[in-house]
Amino acid sequence: MRRRDFVRAMIAAAAAPKLLLAQAVSPAPPPAAPVPWTLGLNGATPIPNTQIEDAVAQAGLRFFTPAQMATLERLSDVLVPSLGDKPGAVQAETPAFLDFLIGSSPVDRRQMYRDGLDWLDAEARKQFSVPFAQLETVQADRILQPWMRAWMPDHPPIEAHADFINIAHADIRSATVNSKAWSDTPSSPAQESTPVGLYWYPIEPDIYPNRITRMPFTSRTDRATP
Amino acid sequence: MTKEPVDVLIIGSGHAGGMAAKILTEKGISCLMLNAGPVVDVARDAKQEPAYALPFRGFKPPGRLAHVFQSNEFNANVWVDEEEVPYTYDPANPYNWVRVRLFGGRSLFWSRQSFRLSDYEFKAKSHDGFGEDWPINLADLAPYYSRAEDILQVSGRAEGIPQYPDGNFIPDDVPWSSSMLRFQEAGKRLGVPVCRGRRAHGRDGLASSVNLLLPDAFATGKLEALENVVVRELTTDKQTGLVDGAHFVDRLTRREMSVKARVVVLAAGTLESTRLLMNSNLANSSGVLGHYLMDQIYGVGVTCSVPEAQGGKATAELMGGAGVIPRFRNITTKSDKFLRGYAMNVTSRMGAFEPRNFAAYGAELQKKLDMYYGSAFHMTIMGEVLGHYENHVRINKDVVDAWGIPVLHIETKYTDNEHNMARDAVDTCAALAESSGFEVLSKNAEPNPPGYSIHEVGTCRMGNDPKHSVLNKWNQSHDIKNLFVVDGSGFTSAGWQNPTLTILALSMRASEYLAEQMRQKNV
Repeated sequence: MRRRDFVRAMIAAAAAPKLLLAQAVSPAPPPAAPVPWTLGLNGATPIPNTQIEDAVAQAGLRFFTPAQMATLERLSDVLVPSLGDKPGAVQAETPAFLDFLIGSSPVDRRQMYRDGLDWLDAEARKQFSVPFAQLETVQADRILQPWMRAWMPDHPPIEAHADFINIAHADIRSATVNSKAWSDTPSSPAQESTPVGLYWYPIEPDIYPNRITRMPFTSRTDRATP
Repeated sequence: MTKEPVDVLIIGSGHAGGMAAKILTEKGISCLMLNAGPVVDVARDAKQEPAYALPFRGFKPPGRLAHVFQSNEFNANVWVDEEEVPYTYDPANPYNWVRVRLFGGRSLFWSRQSFRLSDYEFKAKSHDGFGEDWPINLADLAPYYSRAEDILQVSGRAEGIPQYPDGNFIPDDVPWSSSMLRFQEAGKRLGVPVCRGRRAHGRDGLASSVNLLLPDAFATGKLEALENVVVRELTTDKQTGLVDGAHFVDRLTRREMSVKARVVVLAAGTLESTRLLMNSNLANSSGVLGHYLMDQIYGVGVTCSVPEAQGGKATAELMGGAGVIPRFRNITTKSDKFLRGYAMNVTSRMGAFEPRNFAAYGAELQKKLDMYYGSAFHMTIMGEVLGHYENHVRINKDVVDAWGIPVLHIETKYTDNEHNMARDAVDTCAALAESSGFEVLSKNAEPNPPGYSIHEVGTCRMGNDPKHSVLNKWNQSHDIKNLFVVDGSGFTSAGWQNPTLTILALSMRASEYLAEQMRQKNV
């Protein structure tokens, strides 16, 4: 042992009784190892507040053509206008949402919207020589009103044009009522309120089907004849 | 390692399987329950949210659950995904197969209307000559109905009408509103009975297998259960031809495993139980397995307004309450347009109207919503669908589900009988509304697609004759004595009634019979 190491060992030995004495009267020092980080994830862990996307961001047009979107915006404003303090479909950014919803939908629904919006624009040009997007409300009423129907759940009208007008009306109204903008202003008793309900997350989703190589199944049963 | 066979293997955890588990375990019989889906923990799996916080603002996620009209974005994840467990059908005759595989099955979400069948259903053929009589009658099932009503805590009122048998009810003493009484008086004028409804209260509003049946079974210490196991086929003893267990696949890992059992009780839901028997090539010496698929027509009805409640004048004395028009056609008279009959749910309601009830939009629509607020009066049908051999399911070997199990092909459609019944219902409701002084706002005589009611029954029907039925009067296979099927597939006719109470009573009765047969070592 070199002298320097010998001196260090002697100092440590002399200090040892004092340390032992100190341990008898004071709490143990914190463990040398770091606390497992998972201990900090518990019920008291603060949860960050987040916004809904619509509140801070905007989406580009992905599905409808600019002309179709212009028609949809005018249609939305006519069917669900702002009334009193309540926002209308335009204030609720319903047309942009429908571009996303309908663009994500099965082909028959996409086609019904495209055909319906094109038909409205063609009717406007035929009857008033302007695009639907530029119609006055009374002019739009003359095109839309004849197709409005009363109907029962799951049974919207099936006749041409009435189907699109009434389904689009229901979609535009629901998307508006279900918006944050609508929720933020009080509803009168006869006005729909934004639904609040029990949302179910995916429950133990099946995440493996494409990752596991399945052995072909062969029955081990000698099947009884019935 | 070879495991000891369990006494009874129960496949399915809804009302049918839950009742079987309760009865059998309370008699000291060990059971193993298999369920295709996971256990639900509401605290973990669900959360209160406003529609605007959901990606699709509450709309049904596009492209999913095309045949589940009841679905929306809030509940989309509780239904069986049609891509994961597909089924096939002729596009000209679609079928709405509405399924839940969570532990507890559809008992988690049912509407809780609880009606007994009458002998107009049990002995329907004797009454009108169509189809087959059940091998039991109301008197056979009445004691079990009574006990099931006690478990479910069914409220109701004795009406003394033979086609609407009374039961073991929590008294329904709530006074009816004057709009309901007016409607009832109109019914008397037109020969249409308007009665109190009958509904299960359960506990805390939930009347499910998971809170009313399974806790009792687990408390015996005799019930074990597996979640997330998809049964591929039943297995048989090649010496005896009896079932001796099941082969299943783990839903998540795809691990293939099997269990052995002395007795198998199928309670997977009408079409899943039949699919399993067909994929196992069992219990079909009669050739009627899969046939006589029935349900009830829904979606037909009339929406009205009570004029005296319009303009902000609705009061609790005038509006509110619900009732049932039990079947009244073809009881003492005979219709020349259709056999059997329908019931109507009747609701008087003080809330807001749905906008689609008015052919208007914008400010004009809002004026109507304001004007009609609080005056809604609804009538909706529950109509019996006849059992036809042609309405059937079979295995489509060309299509398999996510676990490689061949799927069902469903071939069924409504006939003139159901469509004529629907038109009669709308005409009758409109006449009742007029006689009541109500304003009709909208009506519909076109039924929703078959299956929509989630009351599919039949395909494994009961009967005395093994040549024309799959099960005997104890829900026991004619072919295989240690195989029981206790869900709605055993129904011989559909009736207009919601089937849950009858499924519970039948499962209770079959399970007590099974326990006694096991005690006597006959099974």
